[in-house]
Parts: sequence; C-alpha cells; structure tokens
Amino acid sequence: MLELQRNVVFGQFVDTGSAVHRVDARVKIAVAFVCIVASFLIDDLLGFGLALALMVGIQALSRIPLGFFLRGSAFFFGFLLFILVFQVLFYTGEVSSYLWRWGILSVSTGGLYTAGVLGLRVVFLYYLTTLLMLTTSLVDLTNGLELLLSPLQRLRVPVNELVLVFVIAVKFVPIFIEEMERLARAQTARGVPFDEGGAVTRARRLGRLLVPIFINGFARADTLTTAMHTRSYRGGRNRTKLRVMKAGPSDWLALALVTAWMLAAWQL
Amino acid sequence: MNRDGAPILELRDFRYTYLEGTPKANEAVRGVSVEIRCGERVAVVGPTRSGKSTVVDSFAHLLRLKTGQVFFEGEDVAAPGYDRGALRRRVGIVFQQPDTQIVEDVVGADVAFGPTAAGLPAEETRRRVEESLDGVGLPYKDFRLRYVHALSGGQRRRVAIAGVLAMRTPVLVLDEPTAGLDPRGRRELLGLLRRLADDRDLTLIVCSASLQDASLLCDRVVVLDGGRVVVDGPLREVLRRDEDLASLDITLPEPIAATRELRQLFPDLPADLMTEDDLERELIQRLGTP
Repeated sequence: MLELQRNVVFGQFVDTGSAVHRVDARVKIAVAFVCIVASFLIDDLLGFGLALALMVGIQALSRIPLGFFLRGSAFFFGFLLFILVFQVLFYTGEVSSYLWRWGILSVSTGGLYTAGVLGLRVVFLYYLTTLLMLTTSLVDLTNGLELLLSPLQRLRVPVNELVLVFVIAVKFVPIFIEEMERLARAQTARGVPFDEGGAVTRARRLGRLLVPIFINGFARADTLTTAMHTRSYRGGRNRTKLRVMKAGPSDWLALALVTAWMLAAWQL
Repeated sequence: MNRDGAPILELRDFRYTYLEGTPKANEAVRGVSVEIRCGERVAVVGPTRSGKSTVVDSFAHLLRLKTGQVFFEGEDVAAPGYDRGALRRRVGIVFQQPDTQIVEDVVGADVAFGPTAAGLPAEETRRRVEESLDGVGLPYKDFRLRYVHALSGGQRRRVAIAGVLAMRTPVLVLDEPTAGLDPRGRRELLGLLRRLADDRDLTLIVCSASLQDASLLCDRVVVLDGGRVVVDGPLREVLRRDEDLASLDITLPEPIAATRELRQLFPDLPADLMTEDDLERELIQRLGTP
C-alpha cells in the first residue's frame, strides 16, 4: 500500500555491516560535530561542493544505495525547494543586478546565490544526520552520546536523561510512520481509499489521520514509560554496559581525515 | 451454491516482497497459486512467516500489487483503472490485531465507518450497526456509545468483526479470528461465523496457525510454508497428513491431536477422526467394552 518507509529515509537504520557501520559511535558523533561546525564556517559553493563530495564518498563506503537515499528524501527536498523559492523572492540584502522584479518580489543574482548556499547547507546537514542514523544503531548512538557527554555530569547536567529523551524523540519518527501506515491500511480496508484520487484528495485524507496518530503516539509513550518502570530504569548511574566501546587507530584516522577534508573545504 | 463456476478470487503465481528495491526488502510470498470459488470455506494455515497475512492482504489489494497476479471475479485487481473501492466493499478483511482495524474511538461510530464510507443512508447504517453488534454479542444499546479503548481485548476483537460484518461483504476474510478470546467467546464467535456463512452464503477465508478453529469453519485447507503452497485439498484429506502438519508446527484439532498420541497404543487408528465422538467410537471398538 503506502510503504511510507520508502519515502522517508530519515531516522532509519540500515545495517549493511560496512566499514562506516563499524566505526566507533563516539567517533561518528565527533565527525558529525566537526561537520556541523564546518557547515557554519563554510560560506561558498565550492566549499559545500567539497563537503557534499565527502558525504557521497562516505555513503558509497557505507554500501547504502544512493537511489534508496534519494527516493527517501524526495519529500524533504521538495519541501526545501519550496522554502528556497520564498528565500529568493523576498531577498532583501545587497543587490547588484535584478533578473526580474515585481513590487516587493524579485529575483536577483545575490538572492539566488544566498539561497543556493543556504540550500546546500541544509542539504549537507540533512545528509549528514541521515547518514549518521543510517549507519549507527540507536543503541550505539545512545551509548556514544552518553559517553561523550559524561564529563558534563560533574556539572550536574542530567546527561543520561537528556540523551534518552533525544533518542526516544528520534525513535518516534519511524513509529509515527508505522502508525500512519496502520491507520491508512485500516481505513482503506473499510472502504476509504488512500491510494486513489488526486494529490489534493490524498493530502486531505492524510490530514484526517493526524488526530488518531497523535492519540496513539501518546498511548505509545505511556506504554514505554510503564515498560521502563517495570524494568526499574533510572538514569545511567551505576549502569554497566555489555559491550564496552573501544576506538582503535582506524577510528582516529577516520576522524582526522574528515577534519582535514572539512578544513580544506573551509579554507579553499 | 455456485462452487463449480469461475473462481471469485484467484492468485496466479503470486509473489510479494515488502519494501522491494530498498535495503530492507523482505520477500514474504514466493509464488502462490490458489483459486477460491464462490461459497467456498477455505482455511489458510501455516506457521509464522509463511506468508499468510500477505496473501490475506492481497485479496483486498492492501499491498503494492503487480498486474497479472491477483484476480477478483476474473478481473485483475492491479490493472490500471480497476475500481478498488468496489473490491473492498465486496471483500471484507478482519485483521489479526483489532487495534489495527478500529479507526473511530466510539464503538457505534466505528462499526458505522464502513457502511458510511459506502454511502449508505443513515437509517440503513444504523440498522446494520445494531444487527452487527448484536450479532457479535455486544448488545447495541449497551455498547454503541462505549469508548473502544475502555473495552477488553476480546470485546475489541468483536467490535472489529462487527465493523466488517456491517459492510455485508460477500467475501469474508478473517486473520486469526479467535486469538485472544476466552473459550466461551471463541465458541460464540465460531457459532456466529458458521451461521452467517450459511445464511448469507458467504465465501469464507480463515487464516490461522491452528487448524483447531479453522477445521470447524472450513471444508478446504491451503497450507503455506515459506511463502509457498505445500498442501491444498479438502479438510479430511489434509488432516490425514497429520505428521506433515505437525512438522510445520500447525496446531491440529484436538481429536486429531489425541488420535496421533493414541496411535502409540493403537497404530491402526484412522487419521480423519474429526470429532471426539468418532474417536470414542473407534476406541470402544478396539477396547471391546460396550
């Protein structure tokens, strides 16, 4: 029927057992951090071109098919394009030459350039986080974040709880998608089709799912709370790990290479 | 009963892979061919992951079907322009989990969902809701305004079944209909289904990992394993292959299962003793007591 998982790749984990998957989760998070900082420093098309080339390289290494990623991102890219159109039309910065002008709306080279850089920055950040989640299981991601942030615990920051909240939030994306499919299937079987009609009809039908999805979402959160209570979950204090993370030389090398690449992208 | 004419439902070498073309592809059905005729009562049994639920979903086109595999009344349901709405008004599916089936939060509204979507007038809808709820043992006047989430699991299952019954589909497909019911609820439901199938001359398809209930409703059994048909035949014939069924981890009807055990004492016990009475008679014969 819908198989929304095809269309929303964000938040999924696909285990291909590649080299990228095997990199220590802490190193991957550090790499992501380096890239995020770089994305704020880089300010030109060439820089982002290089940065995106690195991502494509990482994706190739991860053996996650590019088609799968692109198809699963079409929705997001469409939305981004929509926003960028407004960014161009209402651009108010310094303008050297207008290509088109009507009232307060205009298309200028400056506007196009800014929108282009902004778009690439968003695409880069999206690509980065999606790849991180595609190649790192939620357990590893949680452990990695907890370990990386553990020094903050000395300052009485509730690291474990914060990470847990973050992870649950991420995990709820696929759960909501699943929920949506379930409801769509139920309604279709009872004679209200989702797979027919024009784009507007379909969108309106999806809209009708929103309320039940949120109700079920709260119910799920409640179940999760109970499940954690029954297993006596309480923060990360005194918890030990079955698998202790160890970063080897290749992990550090990966971090160094990415940092060098991003530095180059920034400085060039 | 028109059991000899053209099949009402037909699968021709049906294959299905979930999320095909993605790294999460999952091949569920690997070539199933089945013909189901009008008025037939077919049990589709098999262990978990045998492809039962996918086969069931295909009957109402709840999947991304390819053309040339699933036919309803001789028409390819995946053909462009095929009226899927009409198909779903004729093939009613009761899902395995009632929670995945119920769409409204009030019992009466949920049972009315199907008839309303079919565009029936309010009076007719109300009548069908009353009839269906009474039919599944949830009295209309007591239950119509109850909240679904406040019901027990068994009651929710009945609401889900009532919701499909209210659509009065000529084909009724049930995925594990008696799971989660207490023995009495199970007996009542089986009785209701038998009565309905007789009265309305339904085509009944019951999907289960157990032949215990299905054997009371159906006269033909299709056994699936690993996404393929392993056995397809009349109930009695299939039950004679009790060793094969047991090796597939399919729960046998109690008399058959008891016969299997008793064969250690009486190796010549026939395999098609459908009821406790049959078994008792055979045993008395062998024991020689009056």
